[in-house]
Amino acid sequence: MADSRVSPYSLNDLKNTTDDALGNYLRGLNFKQDNSKLDVRLALGYVAVIIAGATFAADYKLGWEATKYWTAVAVAAYAVLNTGLTYWMYMVEKGLVFEGDRNGNKVSIASKTKKHDPTYYLTVTVTKPGSTPSTWQIRSPFTTWFTADGFFVAKPFQQWLATSIEVVGDSDAKNANRDERDELAAPTAKVQVLQDYDGQVDSTGTDKSKGSKRSKRKG
Amino acid sequence: MLGSLSQMQPRQLAAQVLNFALVLSTAFMLWKGLSVFTNSSSPIVVVLSGSMEPAFQRGDLLFLWNRGADTQLGEVVVYNVRGKDIPIVHRVVRRFGGGDEPLQLLTKGDNNAADDTELYARGQSFLDRSKDVVGSVVGYVPFVGYVTILLSEYPWLKTAMLVFMALTVVLQRE
Repeated sequence: MADSRVSPYSLNDLKNTTDDALGNYLRGLNFKQDNSKLDVRLALGYVAVIIAGATFAADYKLGWEATKYWTAVAVAAYAVLNTGLTYWMYMVEKGLVFEGDRNGNKVSIASKTKKHDPTYYLTVTVTKPGSTPSTWQIRSPFTTWFTADGFFVAKPFQQWLATSIEVVGDSDAKNANRDERDELAAPTAKVQVLQDYDGQVDSTGTDKSKGSKRSKRKG
Repeated sequence: MLGSLSQMQPRQLAAQVLNFALVLSTAFMLWKGLSVFTNSSSPIVVVLSGSMEPAFQRGDLLFLWNRGADTQLGEVVVYNVRGKDIPIVHRVVRRFGGGDEPLQLLTKGDNNAADDTELYARGQSFLDRSKDVVGSVVGYVPFVGYVTILLSEYPWLKTAMLVFMALTVVLQRE
């Protein structure tokens, strides 16, 4: 997707491209995707469509009078399935983009945008083995990873995710600006450890702006 | 645009196709639901001729109801002539039977000089309420039906519209 261009003024295009990139990125980090929620949606939807198709075929071949009662049953079933589908999409999936796990850590990410607000909102839920799920929200303007002419740039996007979601950062250390974040959180505690870690991280090439800031501070 | 379609995951593609299928099937099932509710095979019809002027004009959209089987004089009904596919909207001017006997109706267009015996099938001189009538008119919206008159008189418009709709739904997400 990185090579395709979208209109930077279309919030929908920005969101769809980013959603796709998010899935690709996490799959690339060997997160095992769990599609069960989407599968439920597809099952509900396709059963409903098949019922409608069968009703159409029966109506076409046999006419209204012969199919009246079965049509009533089919309409009721369709209404139930469609209500279920709507419920599933708005109450269960809630914009789910990716769900999967790596080394037993389960991650589930849902995205949304607000009208006339070029910001990508993510709701992240992480379940570590043997603990209760923790959920938090992160957001970032689309301009962080889209150029002015509408090209998606993977690097800043991946850095954003790796930095703000620990489980993702664990699997993608070079994109996780751990030092930055941890220094902000705990300015005194683990300086020595962090500096060692930094050395490795730097060699693989981190983000320019943040990297230079840090080195200045250290020097 | 089509390129991005081919890059999709199979499940995403299935979800995309589903979106389109749901639009069509929901429209169809709403129509069928209305049919079940009104007990009429086609609960909404468009007036194609001026035979009921000034009550109804060409292009008026009529809403039918078929649950009151005891049709009265003066009601406007839509009926099918055996062996023809275009339904006719005319007013009941005479009724025979009713109650225990099968109800039979004679109809006439308000704007026509003679009653409908000429229009009925060969050998038929009245309508059978339970078999021939699609429903009684209970409401109408003027003029809106002109769209379908245009669509049936210029069939290529129909194709163009379908193609356009299909493309927009497939290529646009959400």
